[in-house]
Amino acid sequence: MAFPLLRVQLSGPVAMRTMEGVVTIVQEGRFQLTDDDGVSHLFLLSHRAAVEPDQLPPLQHHQARVRVHYTPARNLIGFVAHSVERSEMPAA
Amino acid sequence: MSERLASELGPQEQPRVPPSASQASAPGRSAHWDGPTYYGRPQLKAAPFNNWVVGAYIFIGGLSGAAALLSAIADRARGHEAAPVVRRGRFLSMLAPTLGTSLLIYDLHTPQRFYNMLRLVKGTSPMSLGSWILVSFSAFSALGTLAAEAARWMPRFPWLRRTARATQLPAAVAGAGMTTYTAALLSATSTPLWAAAPQSMAVRFGSSSLAAGAAALALGNTGRMGRTLDKVALLALAAELAATCVSHNTYRRTGVAPALNGEWGKVEKLGATGLGTLLPMGLYAVSLARGRSPMLSTLAGLATLAGSATLRVSIMAAGDESANRPDVSFRFTQPRNLPKRRSRWFRR
Amino acid sequence: MDMPARAAEEPQSRLDRMIPNESELTAGVRIEPGKSYGFFTDTTLCIGCKACEVACKEWNNLPADNIGLTGQSYDNTGALSANSWRHVNFIEKAGACGVRDNTQAPFQSGWLMMSDVCKHCHNAPCLEACPTGALFRTEFDTVVVQQDICNGCGYCVPACPFGVVDLSELDGKAHKCTLCYDRLKGGLEPACAKACPTDSIQFGELEDLQERAEKRVAQLHELGAANAYLYGAPGSPGATGDLGHLNAFFLLTDRPETYNLPPAPTRAANRVAPSLGTGLAAMAGLALAAFAILSGRD
Repeated sequence: MAFPLLRVQLSGPVAMRTMEGVVTIVQEGRFQLTDDDGVSHLFLLSHRAAVEPDQLPPLQHHQARVRVHYTPARNLIGFVAHSVERSEMPAA
Repeated sequence: MSERLASELGPQEQPRVPPSASQASAPGRSAHWDGPTYYGRPQLKAAPFNNWVVGAYIFIGGLSGAAALLSAIADRARGHEAAPVVRRGRFLSMLAPTLGTSLLIYDLHTPQRFYNMLRLVKGTSPMSLGSWILVSFSAFSALGTLAAEAARWMPRFPWLRRTARATQLPAAVAGAGMTTYTAALLSATSTPLWAAAPQSMAVRFGSSSLAAGAAALALGNTGRMGRTLDKVALLALAAELAATCVSHNTYRRTGVAPALNGEWGKVEKLGATGLGTLLPMGLYAVSLARGRSPMLSTLAGLATLAGSATLRVSIMAAGDESANRPDVSFRFTQPRNLPKRRSRWFRR
Repeated sequence: MDMPARAAEEPQSRLDRMIPNESELTAGVRIEPGKSYGFFTDTTLCIGCKACEVACKEWNNLPADNIGLTGQSYDNTGALSANSWRHVNFIEKAGACGVRDNTQAPFQSGWLMMSDVCKHCHNAPCLEACPTGALFRTEFDTVVVQQDICNGCGYCVPACPFGVVDLSELDGKAHKCTLCYDRLKGGLEPACAKACPTDSIQFGELEDLQERAEKRVAQLHELGAANAYLYGAPGSPGATGDLGHLNAFFLLTDRPETYNLPPAPTRAANRVAPSLGTGLAAMAGLALAAFAILSGRD
């Protein structure tokens, strides 16, 4: 019966990671990103993300390249995206 | 995937494994349900509310509403003599718009969209109706308090006092709604404990709020106002006790009583009913018999307030337990528990 | 390219190879707005392959969750949740000596399998509870959560009498089966119905499905499976308590509780008026009494 008025992350701070790739599939607030190695990853938009679900379909339509800041999620094969920004292709 | 540690994968709590795979029907924990369950897994989902936060809101909202209601009544009944009580009532009624609303927004899982609560008015949703009750109560309370306080500083403008007076009745009516709509909110779900006794729970919540309001207004007050407010508190507590008995009877009849056998059920019995209703009733009775003893009245008032808060949190937690126990939810959704007559208010 | 007008609303639909009205080919039904659609799940045909779970996750881009084994027969998903909108139940029925009977009557007598899903109730308690209007009834008579309106209040979660809709802690909104609303708009049948290899999950217009289901029950009774019945059809278990009927209904061969279904659920909204009415009446009575006490001579 912990007193949970403060939402403290008991497992310790989780490091934010970054990934770049192309948005290939979008459904509601979830999207699939295919990175430069051709591996696809699934992301859920965090409720704290500045991006709204309806901003994702245009990214998928243009097959846009984005940079995602994310954290892993427990008991889930997917990541929680905290920010999604357009990015440029690195110079070859 | 290779960057994931083994400790990150998998659920934090392993599901309970039955004695053998062919024993799909893990028998219920209580003797009153001997039918099958699905591996003992819950059949319903418990409300995702933070019981402390939402329970605190229900208590604060009910207290605010009752304070507005009682101070309006006191003003009509006693006039000038009730002025300090009315003033305290106005400040108490400001708790709901400030602290109460903050608690509600905090509990939303996407709080930045809190204003979506006001997109529509839905008669089938007590949460929708309640949002509007809260908004109107907050508006009238805030306007009344501002006008009343401004009238003290600027007595040359009589329209300030008139405005304050005019907001009293609407705030009182909305306040009455604040004291009891939260019970309808809990009842209009499929959680067995909350759905089993919608009417007696509404009376319980409303009378508990009224008792808390009277107790808060009477604290520290002496003389006739204190005495009469104590009597009101005693009456409200008696109503709450009657509603509690009806509730518990109904829980036994519909088969949800086992949900109250756990830890939170004990808190509800000892904390809400024992220390929160029976004890203050006794203290008020003794105090009034002795011509109002300030110490006993204060103790009774504090016990009433604590009991009112404990009632909400314990009912919410016990309700969650009833949703998580398939033996309780299956017993509750047996055909014999169906309402005998279709409700008149819904003809679709 | 003859694309249905409604599919053109989805930018992802601009593919060069799309069969217009594909559902006519795959499910024998033409999908038109304004009609009632749903599922008839015949559990006597289910083989427990979980293609429905996989297809649902693939189409809706849902993350795999519930990693690990539960030891509860072949059910490692456990329950419907924010990320699992189809869930196959497995129940191994114990014979006389406590072990599964090896000689069994046909049509799922010893090992029950049932693909659970959102029932898309006619009088959906989740929809009636939603204070933001995020949950709405679509033009196909299904119930869908609008993700750009939901603010995660979570009131729909306890309202559901079947424990279907769930709030995701990660994205802060409520999720459940949409009956593949986006596929329906494009003339495609839902992913699970399309993937089901035995046609245990049948998609179609509700009246057709109900007729088909009744014929199937009669056929099963003739073949000796006397305990086959419908759950969620009008007048059957599951469609009780003023819920009307369930757009996604089932043919079961054992009590509902075995499949983790309530035998007689009720419509939660019917409790609003009695509760509010009694509460307000009590407060009015107490207010009058308080007035009498406060104005009385002391």
